[in-house]
Amino acid sequence: MSALYAFGLLILLAFLGTRFLVRKKSLSALNYLFLSGFVYIFLGLYLGHHGLNILSSQVLEALDPLISLGLGWIGFLFGFQLERKYLKRFSKKAVGLSVFKSLFVFLSVFGVMLFFVVRLFAEQPPYLLFGMALAFALLGTVNSPTLLNAAAFVLPARGDYFYLARFLTSVSGFWGIVGLSLLFSFWYFPLIDTPVVIRGALVLSVSTLVPALIGVLFHFLTRAKASEQEILVYVLGLVFFVSGAAFYFNLSPLYVSMIMGIVFSNLTRIHERLYPLLLSTEKPIYIIFLILIGALWDFRLDWSIALLVVVFVLVRIVGYTLPLPLCRLILKYPNPLPPVYGLSFLSFGGIGVAVAVSLKLAYPMELTDVFLSISLLAIIINELLGPKALQRAILRLDSEIK
Amino acid sequence: MVALVFLFLMMLVLKNPSFLPFANTDQSTSIALGFILIFAFLFGKQVERLGLPQITGFILAGILCGPYVLKFLDTEQVADLQLIDGLALSLIALTAGGEMKISRLKGRLKTISSLVVFQTVFMLGGFVIFGLIGRKIFPFFSGDSLVQSLALALLLGTIATATSPATTIAIITETKSKGKHTDLVLSVAVVKDFLVIILFAFFLSLSSLFFFPDQGFDAGFLLEIMRDLGGSMFLGIVVGGGIILYLKYIKQEMTIFILGIAFFTYQISHNIGFHPLLICLVAGFLVENFSPHGDRLIQAIEKSSLPVFVIFFAISGASLNLEALRSSWMLALVCVFLRGLLKFAGTYTGATLVREETVVRKNSWTGFISQAGVSLGLAVLVERAFPGLEGKFFPLVVAVIAINQIIGPVMLQKYLIKTGEAGTKNLNS
Repeated sequence: MSALYAFGLLILLAFLGTRFLVRKKSLSALNYLFLSGFVYIFLGLYLGHHGLNILSSQVLEALDPLISLGLGWIGFLFGFQLERKYLKRFSKKAVGLSVFKSLFVFLSVFGVMLFFVVRLFAEQPPYLLFGMALAFALLGTVNSPTLLNAAAFVLPARGDYFYLARFLTSVSGFWGIVGLSLLFSFWYFPLIDTPVVIRGALVLSVSTLVPALIGVLFHFLTRAKASEQEILVYVLGLVFFVSGAAFYFNLSPLYVSMIMGIVFSNLTRIHERLYPLLLSTEKPIYIIFLILIGALWDFRLDWSIALLVVVFVLVRIVGYTLPLPLCRLILKYPNPLPPVYGLSFLSFGGIGVAVAVSLKLAYPMELTDVFLSISLLAIIINELLGPKALQRAILRLDSEIK
Repeated sequence: MVALVFLFLMMLVLKNPSFLPFANTDQSTSIALGFILIFAFLFGKQVERLGLPQITGFILAGILCGPYVLKFLDTEQVADLQLIDGLALSLIALTAGGEMKISRLKGRLKTISSLVVFQTVFMLGGFVIFGLIGRKIFPFFSGDSLVQSLALALLLGTIATATSPATTIAIITETKSKGKHTDLVLSVAVVKDFLVIILFAFFLSLSSLFFFPDQGFDAGFLLEIMRDLGGSMFLGIVVGGGIILYLKYIKQEMTIFILGIAFFTYQISHNIGFHPLLICLVAGFLVENFSPHGDRLIQAIEKSSLPVFVIFFAISGASLNLEALRSSWMLALVCVFLRGLLKFAGTYTGATLVREETVVRKNSWTGFISQAGVSLGLAVLVERAFPGLEGKFFPLVVAVIAINQIIGPVMLQKYLIKTGEAGTKNLNS
């Protein structure tokens, strides 16, 4: 009976989705919640052990490969868009801005979150709390262009600020994912008690070289004329394989899939055929991933978690907004970068969820459950704030230029 | 070929025991699934070059990588993949149901029923005679009494009647076949599935009378299986109706919706013993024939049918218990040969009576050889009903299925090529 109920809910969500999506004239928070698929996290939460328990721990275990696929897919797609030709379109100053923006957010989030977690979870070993603060800092640097793409339909004026923001949100995940890989490599690697530099370097090399090799294999497989269905088998199989290998050896699934995506994207010449295929497959995989993450989420909310969510959200906003004029000064950036422009970067997108979840899955412990709860709550709040904040920032700046 | 060898070597390295201290062995299902997906697909392509169907390659790759040969997938991983396998089966069954159009089948009803009836009668009769003769030769049939041997033969014959609709639809899709012979093979396979389940319920109850005479005729099995069958069909109608409404009013997130259906039917069948294959067959049939949007459903599934087939058949291959084949290969071979012979005799007689053309009379039996899930499920029920048969009945059925599942797709492909219907789907549509 509960399966029937769950199924009804799924249909209801799809139905509500159509109703909200049909109206594209405005981009409200609720509208975006459906558009981005984040609403499915709540469905998953309800289907999991907090609700109907249809997605029980046994079912989740059996569906583990789909979580792995979701993470790998996000990483692969992210890497796939990092094509040399695309990146070349942007100036070095824009790339520098991306670095500085991420660095400021990283440092500010790390400092503030470390201050709080050390006080709130004093009973935990300090090295774990240090790792937790690092994880928050990395997560803080991640943005997604999904909101900007969605907003493209509703923004009357799309100028330089819009396109710069799209570039910055597209590449910012790179720094977060690379940082995550460093964390996986040099931090608490299972069965290695202490962080060892040589071992860490070895792990990092393996997590770079092996997926690069598989990226070459992927190119080799699709070089001969392959049908769309065949390409789908290759891409699904290789993403499963690479992401599965990452979980098997406790590497970062996002990083290894991203490397595979980068290598493949820069070798292949079939982008035009691949993009429609990847985009049509993306949404179902992504929605399933979000439902499973919701079910996996051991939802917790006490005053310490609530406090950390608020702090994380606020410090990230501050980290994105206030240092922008300073960035302009350092880089001698030609356009003004007022603090309000930082409001364009609030949305985490799926990549934020992926970063948070990959840490929880790699290090299953009490503290990562807390980390996941804080992260997901903060991500959802940001996704709700994002549409209004973005419209405020971009509309104002681009219409000023026009 | 180079890619195949490369992947194979990579998996050998990853599975090397010296890496085990660094490995998180609890998290090995995804890597196994990724590997089997690519490996089986590439293997299938190599097999295709030999003129065999790709799905034979998928199954062989599954056997090769499975727990009995190279052990890239252990029994635990294969068990972990059962849910994904179940989802794939539901999708395949939806497609199979959707391929059965009343308009195309109308003129063939006589042939379909004749083939179904005669294949069944010949199969049951043949196995009963075999049981009587085989009693002296094979210890398998030497029950405590003659009637017990007969009961065993009857149950074996019922299971042997079944043909796998999943394999049939996979070969039809792979060979892009379309036409009256294709429709005939698929519809006979599907109708037989229904009939086999009903007959099985009856014979199982009857057999309980022979094995446990004190208890009398146990209608319990019959009722239980009839309930499951009726329930499955009813649920199929409900699901089909739901799909029609969804296609009409909502339309969004089709893939998620279809996967939701697959998961829902798997859950239901898992919890209350309904048949996911039947639910989805009925649902697909209903959507295709009673809704103008049926083609959209089938197209949505067919768009991603290749990975579904690869996963389903590779896992099926990996699940085949080769130990069972080793322990009862001789009797299994005899059963496979006998089954083939009876299929030919039944099909020939049935087709001749309704004056079918020569190719149907002489060759269509080759389209009914493959066997899979339903047969396996029924064999489990036999062992459960008669604990005395434990380790005896099931391994034999598994061994027979293993052989039939390897030769069946090849024979069906040859038949579809012979009829000239292979490769015509795109031309027709």
